[in-house]
Amino acid sequence: MSKISNIIDLLEAGIKAEGLRQKAIANNVANLETPGYRRIDVKFEELLAKALNSSGSVDLSKIEAQIYQPKQTPVKSNGNDTNLETEVGEMVKNSLRHKTYIRLLYKKYKKMELAMNVK
Amino acid sequence: MEIDNTFGLIDIAISGMRAQEKNIKLISSNVTNAQSTDNGNGQPYRRLEAVFKTDGDGVGGVSLDEIAVDMSDFLKILKPGHPDADERGYVTMPNVKLPVEMMNLNVAALMYQANIAILKRYQVMVETTLELLK
Repeated sequence: MSKISNIIDLLEAGIKAEGLRQKAIANNVANLETPGYRRIDVKFEELLAKALNSSGSVDLSKIEAQIYQPKQTPVKSNGNDTNLETEVGEMVKNSLRHKTYIRLLYKKYKKMELAMNVK
Repeated sequence: MEIDNTFGLIDIAISGMRAQEKNIKLISSNVTNAQSTDNGNGQPYRRLEAVFKTDGDGVGGVSLDEIAVDMSDFLKILKPGHPDADERGYVTMPNVKLPVEMMNLNVAALMYQANIAILKRYQVMVETTLELLK
């Protein structure tokens, strides 16, 4: 069932994607009032899910987080489609995900440590 | 494969904040134009009101359905000499009542805060769950 043998690689890829997404959100907040600016987001989970659903082994180094413009929020009169509330929500989600991955990674290392400490 | 349904609650709270922000914008427009006797078409300003609807069926966020125009009667005040006054000296004023607007503003601001409270509390809840991984 499991195509990914190394959980640490998976968590690392996730943390990297969250880092990039945090940058994207910061960029969106900085451009809240820039005319013509469309908000950007990071596509990673979708790509990972697609890779996991396909047959064959999954090479995590090949799944690269992508920046794209969702173009789903309504556009204001100055051609800008960002708003502070959405970005705050995305940031909360992002930091919670980040925390989860970090905790899982921590737990994994803790387990290794435990295995090494056997006397 | 369904991705990321854990944070649906955050989206709902955010939709509430966005809806109330628009609501406050309309209230602000009403207050600002409480004395506007001409909206460009020779008519006084008519107050606007936000109408909300639920997104999807059942559990979902909220969105601004429409901006309704209040068709209630205009107020008339005696103001001879005003360029928009009629032959008897009465000026038709917008149908904005400031006490009503202030009350709506209070409600909207409280709604905004309530959505933030939900967002914050949910964040704390998830973080408590993550404590289990320590």
